[in-house]
Amino acid sequence: MEEILFGIGISALAGALATVAGAAEDTESDIGSQGDPNSQVQLAPQMGYVHRIYNKAVSGEPPAYGLWVALAAGVAWALMAIQFNAILALVIGSAVAVFVQGVYATTAYLGRTASLAKFEQPVYIDILKSVTSVTMAHAFVAIFATVTMCFLMIEALGHPFPLPLMGIVWGIALGAAGSATGNPFYGKERQYQNYPFGAGLPISASGDIVRYAEAGERSSIDNGWFTSKGAGPASGICFGLIVFFELWRTILFEPFAAGWGAVIAGVVIIIVFMVIDRYVETWARNTYGPYNTEEAAPEEEAAA
Amino acid sequence: MSALGGGAAGGEGINPTASLIALVIVLVAVAVVFVVYPAALVPLIGVIIGGVLISFGVHFVPVGGAPAAMGQAPGIATGVAMLAAGGGLAGLFGGAWAAEFGIAISLAAGAIGGGLLMAITCLMVNVVYVYAMGIPAASGKVDKDPITGDTFPAYKSQGTEGHGLPFISYVGGVLGGLFGGMGGTLIYYELLQVYEEALPSFLGTTEGMTTLAVSLAGIFAVGMFLVAAVLTAYNITGTIEGPHDPKFKRWPRAVIGSSAASAVCGLFAILLVVI
Repeated sequence: MEEILFGIGISALAGALATVAGAAEDTESDIGSQGDPNSQVQLAPQMGYVHRIYNKAVSGEPPAYGLWVALAAGVAWALMAIQFNAILALVIGSAVAVFVQGVYATTAYLGRTASLAKFEQPVYIDILKSVTSVTMAHAFVAIFATVTMCFLMIEALGHPFPLPLMGIVWGIALGAAGSATGNPFYGKERQYQNYPFGAGLPISASGDIVRYAEAGERSSIDNGWFTSKGAGPASGICFGLIVFFELWRTILFEPFAAGWGAVIAGVVIIIVFMVIDRYVETWARNTYGPYNTEEAAPEEEAAA
Repeated sequence: MSALGGGAAGGEGINPTASLIALVIVLVAVAVVFVVYPAALVPLIGVIIGGVLISFGVHFVPVGGAPAAMGQAPGIATGVAMLAAGGGLAGLFGGAWAAEFGIAISLAAGAIGGGLLMAITCLMVNVVYVYAMGIPAASGKVDKDPITGDTFPAYKSQGTEGHGLPFISYVGGVLGGLFGGMGGTLIYYELLQVYEEALPSFLGTTEGMTTLAVSLAGIFAVGMFLVAAVLTAYNITGTIEGPHDPKFKRWPRAVIGSSAASAVCGLFAILLVVI
């Protein structure tokens, strides 16, 4: 009983760490503009809209975070092997990974932005100085929280994977959850803030991103301020729920039915989430209603 | 025909010559293992089946890519291979944890792990679309949801191909996670059996063998997962909405390709410890 209680406590702690990691990951990727919405940041100068938005999407979020978390985990693992204190090893590992992230961000910004030279998009050195350190700070939070969560899974819950491998697995999952949940909010709600709320962006409007703020030109740091109110927490909840339920169902139900208990619990949890999703979908249809009548829609499409 | 005068890209057809070459590659890999280390024959077939499961599963995952990030197209706003990898590797985590209970529970745990990640991610995608952006789900490929019967044309905002995740795409995402998680776990489990048996005699010691076997099997499973998922992403070419998307019919081609790729990767993974 005591062991199960301990396991559930660790699951809750890992879930909390994952929530922080997810929120920091999404905010970092929005400040650095690393997700799919960066297609618009890259496109804008080609359409004549020169801007001051950071641009470091030379890799998707999942492989990038797979690398950084695995790197932090690998360094921490090596330090622990020579008897370093675990917390110190995790901090040093995360710091090393963040330096790699900083190099990645710098070279990616310079490379991607320089490639737009023929469209008269300047490389702003002040952006490089001010925004890079902010993305690094957020990346540190995301990496440290994830690698600590991986450490707990191995040391406290007895998962057989070594720390670096665990880092790859959960780093990629962190990037996948964060980019899937957070991207639309940054892409539609922030970059196209001047388009009507409650509708997708017309394809013809691509590239016309918002470039000006209340005073002067919009900075990527403001994008982090905006998305940390919606996409960041949503990504955090997403990754936190994934980690918590994955651990919780295993710890609590694995002893039942010779291991099948955790599987059955997983099926039940999936069905519960499916029902919630259907409720959300129906709620949206009933509350917001159609954009036009069912009869008019096919005619409009035919005319187009 | 494309603008450059070449043949049209994509298509659903299967190229008989390429399929034959893939089959020969699979058979050669199986034959080599049979000659060099017969005990690994069944694991290699398991690895190939794992690759096939991953490849088939990736077709279910609703991926909208960059257009989805602006609410211009339905699906999840990230890459095909990346999202599938996220789901499949979360499955691998669960499957590896349950490996001590035997293959059936391990595979089921892997499948559920992948399905759970996709179920939560897809839900949060819809939550963000609905509550943070005020946009209802609408498919661009079909007028009616095959499961719920919801109609979509009136719920598509002007100038877009649809947005969000309709219920059929949600179910597709969960199924993709289940297949991916199961495939990744099968590769891990089979390679683990080979390594646990072959490593002690290969290195002449049993000290630290379990950790080495788990690490090698795990990293090969991650690598092969990405091989199968990326191959499939090329087959899908860009975005897919799920099982109702016409592109879904292309799956046999990716499955043939992935079986050949998994056979070669599996062969090298096995030869690593027996030669």
